[in-house]
Amino acid sequence: MLLLEHLWILLALPLAGAAANGLFGRHWSKRTVDAVAVGASGLAFAAALELWREFAQLTAAELPWVRSYFSWIVAGEFRADFALQVDQLTLVMVLVVTGVSWLIHIYSTGYMAGDAGYARFFAYLNLFLFFMLLLVMAANYPLLFVGWEGVGLSSYLLIGFWFLRKSAADAGKKAFIVNRIGDFGFLLGIFLLYWTFSAADFRSVFAAVRQMPVETEAGVLTAIGLLLLAGAVGKSAQLPLYVWLPDAMEGPTPVSALIHAATMVTAGVYVVARSAVIFVHAPLAQDAVAVIGCLTAVYAATIGLVQTDIKRVLAYSTISQLGYMFLACGVGAFAAGIFHLMTHAFFKALLFLAAGSVIHALGGEQDIRRMGGLRRKIPWTYGTMLVATLAIAGAPLFSGFFSKDAILFAAYASGQQLLWGLGTLGAVLTAFYMFRLIFLVFHGQPRFDEQAVHVHESPRVMTVPLVVLAVLSVVGGWLAAPKLWGGADLLERFLTPVLEAPAWLAAFPAEELHALELRLSGAAVLAAALGFLAAWWLYLQQPEKPAMLAARYAAPYRLLWNKYYVDELYAAAVVRPLLWLSERVLWQKVDVAVIDGAANGAAHTARRLGDQLRRMQSGNARSYAAWVIVGAAIVTAALVWWVQ
Amino acid sequence: MVEQFTFYFFAALAVISAVLVVTVRNAVYSAVFLITTLLATAGIFLQLRAEFLFVVQIILYVGGIMVLFVFVVMLVDLDVALRQVQFNRQKWVALLVVLAVAGQLVFALALGSEALGLPAAAPESLEPNTESVGLRLFESYMLPFEIASILLLVAMIGAVLLGKRQKPPRSEA
Amino acid sequence: MLPAATDYYRLLPEILAAVFGTIVMLLEPFLRREHKAALSWLGMLGAAAALGAAVLVRSDAGPAFFHLIQADPFTFFLRLLIYATALLVMLAARAYLDRENLPHGEFYALVLLGSVGMGVMAAAAELVTVFIGLEISSLSTYILASYRREALRANESALKYFLLGSFATAFFLFGVALVYGATGTARLEQVAEGVASVLLLKLGLALVFIGLAFKVASAPFHVWTPDVYEGAPAPVTALLSTAPKAAAFAVLLRIAGTVLPATLLWFWVLWGSAALTMFVGNLAALVQSNVKRMLAYSSIAHAGYILVALAAGTEAAYAAALYYLAAYALMKLGAFTLVAHLAGRGERRLTLEDYAGLARREPVVAATLSLYLLSLLGLPLTAGFLGKFYVFVAGLRAELLGLVVLAAVNTLLGAYYYLRVILYMYFREPDPTYEHAAREPVPAGTGLVLAATAAGTLLLGIFPGHLMRIAELAAASFR
Repeated sequence: MLLLEHLWILLALPLAGAAANGLFGRHWSKRTVDAVAVGASGLAFAAALELWREFAQLTAAELPWVRSYFSWIVAGEFRADFALQVDQLTLVMVLVVTGVSWLIHIYSTGYMAGDAGYARFFAYLNLFLFFMLLLVMAANYPLLFVGWEGVGLSSYLLIGFWFLRKSAADAGKKAFIVNRIGDFGFLLGIFLLYWTFSAADFRSVFAAVRQMPVETEAGVLTAIGLLLLAGAVGKSAQLPLYVWLPDAMEGPTPVSALIHAATMVTAGVYVVARSAVIFVHAPLAQDAVAVIGCLTAVYAATIGLVQTDIKRVLAYSTISQLGYMFLACGVGAFAAGIFHLMTHAFFKALLFLAAGSVIHALGGEQDIRRMGGLRRKIPWTYGTMLVATLAIAGAPLFSGFFSKDAILFAAYASGQQLLWGLGTLGAVLTAFYMFRLIFLVFHGQPRFDEQAVHVHESPRVMTVPLVVLAVLSVVGGWLAAPKLWGGADLLERFLTPVLEAPAWLAAFPAEELHALELRLSGAAVLAAALGFLAAWWLYLQQPEKPAMLAARYAAPYRLLWNKYYVDELYAAAVVRPLLWLSERVLWQKVDVAVIDGAANGAAHTARRLGDQLRRMQSGNARSYAAWVIVGAAIVTAALVWWVQ
Repeated sequence: MVEQFTFYFFAALAVISAVLVVTVRNAVYSAVFLITTLLATAGIFLQLRAEFLFVVQIILYVGGIMVLFVFVVMLVDLDVALRQVQFNRQKWVALLVVLAVAGQLVFALALGSEALGLPAAAPESLEPNTESVGLRLFESYMLPFEIASILLLVAMIGAVLLGKRQKPPRSEA
Repeated sequence: MLPAATDYYRLLPEILAAVFGTIVMLLEPFLRREHKAALSWLGMLGAAAALGAAVLVRSDAGPAFFHLIQADPFTFFLRLLIYATALLVMLAARAYLDRENLPHGEFYALVLLGSVGMGVMAAAAELVTVFIGLEISSLSTYILASYRREALRANESALKYFLLGSFATAFFLFGVALVYGATGTARLEQVAEGVASVLLLKLGLALVFIGLAFKVASAPFHVWTPDVYEGAPAPVTALLSTAPKAAAFAVLLRIAGTVLPATLLWFWVLWGSAALTMFVGNLAALVQSNVKRMLAYSSIAHAGYILVALAAGTEAAYAAALYYLAAYALMKLGAFTLVAHLAGRGERRLTLEDYAGLARREPVVAATLSLYLLSLLGLPLTAGFLGKFYVFVAGLRAELLGLVVLAAVNTLLGAYYYLRVILYMYFREPDPTYEHAAREPVPAGTGLVLAATAAGTLLLGIFPGHLMRIAELAAASFR
């Protein structure tokens, strides 16, 4: 029971790795840096496996397993310990996070080889792993928030990693600030939670919520739910705060794979699932989760149809798939959401790593219009990426098939047929844009200069993780395979103690459920096939068609191409007014013109003392004094005449 | 009646002189009006039977500080001051705001002192207060009196520091 | 009726600081030019002695000097803050004074004597005593602000500071007079028995508030702050933004805590001033390209957060305000000390451009500055986060939902400009034509200050419990 008693070991491993590489990495050889970074994440994965073994021996009464290490914030009766917790949900998250992260560490030793900031990169990566583990293992909301902000910070550092590109630095900043908007809601949610329950740790809060009636009208739980949702929407890049994720693709590809696809962005889903009890007791908030998720799933998929940057297509696909996870949580099928989170982690990490391999092979090219015909030249990449595409598109027996099916089934069975319809539409679009990507990149004629670019398969350290992830992308879904013959979803059963099965499930008799299950699976397969065929016809059979269509439907095409002009809208509605206020009003009018007089820079020209004295007389200090007097007039008036 | 008259006389004298201090262009006139203001204030102190303050006011301000002022005025080049713009374009705004504050203060004081309902003390019954000021200062208010010396020390350090000639740069030393 | 030994004992920290300050000035003329820097040891010894005395006196709480002084846990907390700040400022200033070729002795003496004034303000339980303390503290900071006599901008801003400061002090003094007129006393305990509806008392408290609001740089009395903070020598800015502000907040807290009429009257003014201060500070900071000036606006914004706690007006809120003051002092001291070091001789390198690519040239320095900035921004695991956290929780407890939401919106705005500095340090390369300063190693004293403040920022972020208990005890003094 070593790890159960000392849960902090799991956190200490990546933190130590980050500290070692961050402090001394610059002076070490690549081999040492590799050993430290990969070793730290590998050991973390091993520790997670060991934790799983030990966890299996716990009895239900001992759960959730909480270990408190020291008291962190104590203020009056408010108390938040540095406490870690393990239950089924945490365990699944820890395994996925450490496992995928370990593979990506290995891959990165090949991908980032030769980069000037090699050690720095791995230090950030390990730091990220630390905060992510803190996020999923925290036993109370404030500590979860620490991990939450921490992953945001490491993500910021990693997006801006290639800072010589200005766009990369700006993208990092955008990610951080947009996330802060969500975090602001999240923090308010935590405050409200504490205000209501006088506690912030999961055990007491959830116990208290269970005692409360389900809120049919908006009440305090609804408010808490919506505020937590605001945070989740920011971190998981949902409407309307998704804008940072596509830009975040400026970071190195392994970062996109690890942070912006497999782990960090799923933190929002994790928080919603973790707070399942709250959302179940606040149906209005839960409906909001479902609607936002479903809309995002379709919305992002439509943008993905026309993008030409290989990583951006995948970014919009990530947003869309996260939407599915929210949809699942919103209709009460939290386990299905976590299931999709897991399979998505496998195939989306794989897609990004394979895309990285393509970019690597073409010497940095990211535009799919300048690719094509790569199938034979980089067969391992092609094979694994095809597996991932089949998985995400929902081809039968691949992991995505099972998980997406579980979500669509839940949407339908919960009585939200409209959401199911939209979700299925999203599935068609998903299959279409993913196969479009495959066909444009790997099939057809090469559209790049074959003389100039020496296409080469990636080294073994990069392809091996691809293969491992490909295997996981196939078998990862088989946990739910028994459902096909009327059995139970293994993951769902594992998670049941934490994430109760949705209420509507009980309404169905077993055989009817199974029949519905099979019918909806058929529909999902049809949707995937439709998308595949459309892509096949448009991009392999009639390669000239897409351009014609784009020309004929110019207006909608431009709308999609420009991502519905949302970035521009935000800039015009929020960013520019604030900067205008700051610069034109507060700085130029108040600060420079009124307060400083016209001569702010004049201190440099005023050489003689006499000049200076004149400046003193010509208004500066008097304007200051005038402000003080104005303030004094207001304060005296307020205190003397208005109060009481 | 006589009390009222002398009070308003000194008060008006103080206020008008104070306004003139900042409005006249010639610095020497300014200094003279400042003296008038301070003397008028001293007059009010005397009327309030605060003879100690009256004496201090005259010795310290009129006798000490004002002489210093006049010396400085004589040393400074007055021509420059005469040519300068006295007020900037914000003067009307400033005047308005100042009047707002002053109006509020006067109004509140007028209302407030009545509401306080203080008994009108007969002026003749007030004792000479030099002793009581002394007793207060050396007994219960001994601390502020003592630490005021630190205030003076700080002021002295500041004056010396700002007034003395700049040391030559180290490279030459 | 003469003061007894206990009276002097309860004022021991201030007495020691004053004695050491005087000794520094007495020794200064007798030292040779190249030995004058050694006075910093004496100055720091004085601050350390005052700190030690504060700890010693802690066990003997009670009034002194005919109830003009109150040595209680609240006084203890602020004495710790003030003398520790003075110690760190002197430690950091030595290298700075050498670099800028400024006189040593006067600097240490003024810092020590100024902290005597601040200590008196923190301990005073009577308004005239507060006034004397305020004057000592103000006068020494005026002089310190104009310490770089050859720098025109510094001179100009110091002169403005002096004029406006005197102006604000006049408000304070008039307020004290009116309070005395309305209640017949200036002792806070007795003023507390006054009736809030008496017009003279209202007016007096309004004017007292104005005077103090000027000193803590809350809007709309903040106008002097950006100029003065920018123009003053950076170690002085570090001092200005921390200790005198803490002392003025201490007076505000003590009045709000003991004088019931003030608590009632000031509520909406505190509310409005808090909101305005946060917005003005944060919004104006958005476009600053001078890091020192940006930090000045950030100081204004932080005063706003503390005012939120004052508006909340509960014991927990006062504890939160004290905690915030300490956390804020740590990060601001660190940040300004680093700015002083990076600015180079004559403080020429202060713009964002000068910080471009700093992470590559001096990774440790850049990381330290990032830590302060992240703490100012309020990232978890730093002192700044917990400061905000405590204030917000206290605000919500006092049902100030609106104000807390405004404060939270402001933390969002803050992210933008703090991050911009980090962005420049980590993700920008300087213009190829940019002339780099010769790389200067961090002087030992500065390094020590940075290490202490950085460690403090982290420690208070991870283990806030101990300090918070002291703060809670301090806030309980008003019961």
